[in-house]
Amino acid sequence: MDLVERLGPSMRRVARMFVSTDAVADEVVQDAWLGVLQGLAKFEGRSSLRTWIFRILVNIAKTRGQREGRSLPFATLAGDDLDQPSWDPSAFLGPDSDAPGHWSSLPFDWRGVPEERAEAAETLRVIGATLQDLPPMQAEVLRLRDVLGWSSEEIRNALDLTDTNQRVLLHRARAKVRAAVEAHLRSGE
Amino acid sequence: MACRDIVEMVSDYLDEALPAEEQAHVQAHLSTCDGCETVLAQVRQTVHLLGRLEEEHLTDLQRETLRGVFHDHVNG
Repeated sequence: MDLVERLGPSMRRVARMFVSTDAVADEVVQDAWLGVLQGLAKFEGRSSLRTWIFRILVNIAKTRGQREGRSLPFATLAGDDLDQPSWDPSAFLGPDSDAPGHWSSLPFDWRGVPEERAEAAETLRVIGATLQDLPPMQAEVLRLRDVLGWSSEEIRNALDLTDTNQRVLLHRARAKVRAAVEAHLRSGE
Repeated sequence: MACRDIVEMVSDYLDEALPAEEQAHVQAHLSTCDGCETVLAQVRQTVHLLGRLEEEHLTDLQRETLRGVFHDHVNG
């Protein structure tokens, strides 16, 4: 049950991306574990076990979502901002300057903020709230990578993403959390 | 490459996910640019802070239901 406990919350969130209700997501997770138990003898160890489990989960969730008539376009899950700059363009010098694209004003350096404050529970709360607001695929890639410590390759395989998409999703998500931490630490200056 | 481009690459740089040539290019830029170096440090600390978040937990009901799936399989 250890693996069930550890993978459970992320499996449920991933399932929920593809189906319409929490209750259906719970059923998808149950079906996925059943599929894992039935297929375990065929697991060849070519991917990590958790990657393999997620592949089964995602397949079941997608099928179930299609049957429900809920087939969300990738952009809805991933966010429609993937090709936008992650940093406010006004922070950089314009095309007519002597160094276009270089900093016009240096970014706020929060290293001056005492560690107790930067690392405080309140900062973690701000990060948690930011995660809730991210497009679901951005949030999940970030959670798997930086909260749970999966490798990029595992995430790509588990969620059926291209290498580029995985990297862009992670970058966007990290950039937004970084900005939220900055806003939080700046507000106490 | 300008700072505006470098800030879009720091996440990949941190994960050493860039092609070797670009990885070296970003590294060279960072060694001479205070602004971009600050951004890298912040993204690195953001990743560190994310690692301190607690993962959500299953509810008791979810746990019990999943226990049932395993139990039925073993006894089924």
